[in-house]
Amino acid sequence: MAKKWGQRVRNWMAKKMDLPQDVMMDLPRITMIGQIHIYIENHRGLLAFTDKELRLLLKQGQLLVKGKSFVIKTILPEEILLEGKIDQVLYINENSGGTK
Amino acid sequence: MKNQWIDFLFGMVTVKITGKGIERFINVLTRNEIIIWNVKRHGTETITFQMKLEDAKNIRYFARHTDCQITFLKRKGVPFLFRRLLKNSGFLTGAVIFLLIIFLLSNVIWGIEIKGAKPDTEYQIRKELDRMGVKIGKLQFFVKNVEGIQRELTNNVGNLTWVGVELKGTTYHLQVVEKNEPEKQKELSPQNLVAKKKAIIVKTFVEEGKKVVDIHDYVQKGQLLVSGEIGQDGENVKLVPAKGKVWGETWYKSHVEQPLDTKFKVLNGNEKQRHALAFGKFELPIWGFKDPEYKQFEMEKTIYKLHFLKWVLPVSYIQTTIRESEDIIRSYTKEQAEQIALERAKKEIKSRLDEDAMFKDEKILHKEVKNGKVILDIHFKMIENIAVEQPISKETRE
Repeated sequence: MAKKWGQRVRNWMAKKMDLPQDVMMDLPRITMIGQIHIYIENHRGLLAFTDKELRLLLKQGQLLVKGKSFVIKTILPEEILLEGKIDQVLYINENSGGTK
Repeated sequence: MKNQWIDFLFGMVTVKITGKGIERFINVLTRNEIIIWNVKRHGTETITFQMKLEDAKNIRYFARHTDCQITFLKRKGVPFLFRRLLKNSGFLTGAVIFLLIIFLLSNVIWGIEIKGAKPDTEYQIRKELDRMGVKIGKLQFFVKNVEGIQRELTNNVGNLTWVGVELKGTTYHLQVVEKNEPEKQKELSPQNLVAKKKAIIVKTFVEEGKKVVDIHDYVQKGQLLVSGEIGQDGENVKLVPAKGKVWGETWYKSHVEQPLDTKFKVLNGNEKQRHALAFGKFELPIWGFKDPEYKQFEMEKTIYKLHFLKWVLPVSYIQTTIRESEDIIRSYTKEQAEQIALERAKKEIKSRLDEDAMFKDEKILHKEVKNGKVILDIHFKMIENIAVEQPISKETRE
């Protein structure tokens, strides 16, 4: 309950103080360059990686990237740069019964 | 993104990971600040990626608690290149030695050619060259330069008029001109002997011809001394080439000035050597940096050109010798100066006359010391051969 309340305060602050949401709320920031590059900041770790699929852990839920011939160009503790042909980017929420 | 050139400099490796829970392993790596890139999936249980060589040393530590097997595939970068270079250093040293040998051989004297010399002169020249160290098989660095060889040869080999030394590649070409004794005229044309200057006859020696003058006769320049016409009273006149020597007393006047004090520049024996490599016009000193504290000095530069096969390298070796010089004032007393002036006058006259001219008498006509100089006027009596040949042409004969 306290966490929820904290979340709300942050949300309110972000809105009122015109701060970027990703900084305030630990949300992932995803930058895509066409279909070929996807750059994800603020992830919480790699869950699965094949050449057709990339599954990342987020603070809340997971992120699923689907496509073809994936190569991880760089991976840092909180950033990842993926190259390939990206078809889909999906958010999977914890509640809706994901893998974890 | 990271700079791949820095990674190349420090080396990077391609790693193959097989096993289960590869993703977890990658998370472990990234959380421990190990940077990996180019992660690719090959089949279900294999992943390859690249990482720094430095990090690759620690990867086993992180892999210990996982079910992954690690294989190193490719090694790239400067450290590996360097290691390979060391491994193959034999080739490198071989190449260097090869170049060095060619370089050395290009600077060796491979031939000495002597042109225009008679065999005995050639032998003498070769002996002299040997003595100087110019031999086949010697390095050119240790041999004097061309001008030096030329000078020494002309000085030391007697019957050379001139020798041109030229260095073409690895061969010395010597062009020799010998002193040629003028060939004796075998058949002389009819001639008279006449006086070359006015004189008093002292001695005559006639080989052929009719003597016209006698001892103690005074002759003028051009006067007939020995006639080439022989015969008795105009009959059976025969023309012969007159031969012989007529010695006459001749007179010369000479005027000499000898300063009492003379300034000389002499080398006092102190010298310093400097060595430098020259690249074009730029000189890079290798040895002898100190400036010699000489007030006056003379510099001599010797340039050794380096060869490689048939080319002259743009690098040359320069040896500079700096010799200290001093000014010395030589002073004579009046008597000494007089003596020296006299000697000089004698020498000067002697040089104008034939070899066999002799001094008979000298007389100082006038002596003066002015402006630190001794001025002498001397009268010389000489005895010399005054006979010169004069051909008898048919027209002048009566």
